Amino acid sequence: MKKLFWLLVAVLLASTALAQQTRLRVFVGGQQRPDVMRKIFDLYQSRNPGIRVDVEVGGATSDQQQQYLTTVLASRDPSIDVILIDVIRPAQYLASRWADTIDKYLPAASRQALLRQYLPAYSQANVINGQLVALPGFADAMFLYYRADLLEKYGFKPPTTWDEAIQQAQTILQREGNPNLNGIGFIGAPAEGAVCTFLLPVWAAGGDVTNAQGQFSLTVEQAQRALQFWVSLMDQKVSPPNMAEKPQDTIRSEMQAGRWVFGTMFAYAWNRFQNDADSQVKGKIGVVPLPAFAGGRQASCLGGWQWTVSDFSRNKAQAHRLVRFLSSPEVSKILAIEASNLPVFPALYRDPDILRVNPWFGQALPVVQAARARPQHPRYAEISEAIRVTTNQVLARQKTPEQGAREIVTRLQAIYGGR
Amino acid sequence: MTQPQSRIRRSFGDLSERALAFWLLVPAALLLGLVALYPVGRLLYTSLFRRRLTDETGNSPVFVGFQNFVQAFADERFWTALWNTLLIVLVTVPGALVVGLLLALLANLPFRVKWPVRLGLLLPWALPLVFAGLIFRWFFDSQYGVVNDVIVRLGGERLLWVTTPELLFWAICISIIWKSSSFVALILLAGLQVIPKELYESAAVDGANRWQSFWRITLPLLLPAILVAAIFRTITAFQTFDIPFAMQNGGSSFETLAMYVRTMSIENLNFGYGSALAVLMFLISFAVTLVYLRYVRGADD
Repeated sequence: MKKLFWLLVAVLLASTALAQQTRLRVFVGGQQRPDVMRKIFDLYQSRNPGIRVDVEVGGATSDQQQQYLTTVLASRDPSIDVILIDVIRPAQYLASRWADTIDKYLPAASRQALLRQYLPAYSQANVINGQLVALPGFADAMFLYYRADLLEKYGFKPPTTWDEAIQQAQTILQREGNPNLNGIGFIGAPAEGAVCTFLLPVWAAGGDVTNAQGQFSLTVEQAQRALQFWVSLMDQKVSPPNMAEKPQDTIRSEMQAGRWVFGTMFAYAWNRFQNDADSQVKGKIGVVPLPAFAGGRQASCLGGWQWTVSDFSRNKAQAHRLVRFLSSPEVSKILAIEASNLPVFPALYRDPDILRVNPWFGQALPVVQAARARPQHPRYAEISEAIRVTTNQVLARQKTPEQGAREIVTRLQAIYGGR
Repeated sequence: MTQPQSRIRRSFGDLSERALAFWLLVPAALLLGLVALYPVGRLLYTSLFRRRLTDETGNSPVFVGFQNFVQAFADERFWTALWNTLLIVLVTVPGALVVGLLLALLANLPFRVKWPVRLGLLLPWALPLVFAGLIFRWFFDSQYGVVNDVIVRLGGERLLWVTTPELLFWAICISIIWKSSSFVALILLAGLQVIPKELYESAAVDGANRWQSFWRITLPLLLPAILVAAIFRTITAFQTFDIPFAMQNGGSSFETLAMYVRTMSIENLNFGYGSALAVLMFLISFAVTLVYLRYVRGADD
């Protein structure tokens, strides 16, 4: 009888505790390691017994996730509290009023102190019109992956300029005589990555889409030279003629099958080359910053993911506390070790625990620091479409670099002009 | 005959036949209104507003009347997408009808084992459209695709199928015809099976050869089924989206009207203009259906 009494008390206590529990729903993409995220949420739950965090997993690519989120957020659905968004999206989230800005929970002084800790690119990317839209979760940038074994065989050092890369690729292709081996892989399909393909040579030559004041500044000449560069790789036969067919992950899987000497890709590829069961290139891949143009500078395309609170959440204060935890050095370190995600805190690039798992992170910091962000604009989707579709058409030789450049500049001018 | 009717009338109270019919139709009409008319009405309503989620009008739409439609008529991309859609209809509808008819005739032959043929017929029909698009993208891949492999083995040059506009168009048409002809064949097979065998027997007695009995018996009697298949096929061809979308990795070298609607609404978040485009697409398919129905009625008279 006594046992029964205590059991009843226990059940009663447990159910009131359950009733007081706040449930937070977090949206992450399919490629952002929901398994590792779950571990992080479990940690948070164990420290905050009143909170339960549910994970909702969405599409595999940034575009797919955004399509789903558009439907949810445009209908003002309160079911999602916290969202992991791509670095290109904060401006749109602010314009559409989908994000609850983080400012109201932070006094101005502590906001500055907080932002100073992160890599500068991310504090810049998340502050739109003076408002803090999101906090950085993990960093990313484009790198040059290369076949270390092949370069060594012919006595080459990893290239620091594109001319070197082209020469090395030509020599290796010629001497290897393997019809399945290709030289330099870059994103040519009309996916988001093609925006980076277009911008890399523009940046490396000192240009950009906008000037420091945020006004449109890209010239036809800059755009034309950028497009001409990639077309010339196909002309010189270091890239095959079908580059317009290739999205990033196709280059990644082909490089994994041993079919590329060089490939430009984001950080995630490294883990796949080393750990995937079907990888033919385990231990044979090296990674360095993207090459520079002769007389120009090195440039990389900034990627990365940010945590934001949905403006339709019914638990904004709790959601904000969770976001602060998710964008902390502690979580950045877990993500670096367990998911090989680049940290958003410069100090972590020297952390011995992280370097033991990802030795190449030691060289990644300067790349991430120098990486440039794609244009920040509420109508980024249209900017992206104009650039990636036209770049793809130029690579498919449906348009000359000059025609493509004129088209990109005209369309971007219209968007920046508010038309 | 009168007994059950009076029983129904009794349980519904004292209703005239007309009133009874009306009340029995109400639930179906409500359901139709809910699932078909409301969304169309809502679409028409949205198309009259400037509603772009990327600017301040996203949360407070501004009434602009028919401005979105005026914009569409001046939009070169709209006309290109419309033209591309028409080309798809003009090539794939007759294509699917011819291939479907051949398949139906094949499946109708007195084989001893019919099920492999019929299973083969069902397979493309049961496959999701995006899968078909992906499969054909691999087929037409310039480096590793089976199509180029065959061409090279026959001594030809590799072709850039997916990125050369003219080749891409034909690759898309081939995929759509492959995917949709099995549906046409299923309808035509049903039509073939109701043609009385005696007609062929008496034609044979009269000395008609196979070709003659196909032209004089099969084709005329199959006409209603062909028409039904053509209506379905035309309407779905106007809405072509999945196969070209999947074959181009989501890109838009070859853009149909449905792809343009998606880009405008889902990607660019321009709901007002996207809705106007969708209304235009709806009106065009509706007009085509009306033409067909008129023709069917004319044929019945």
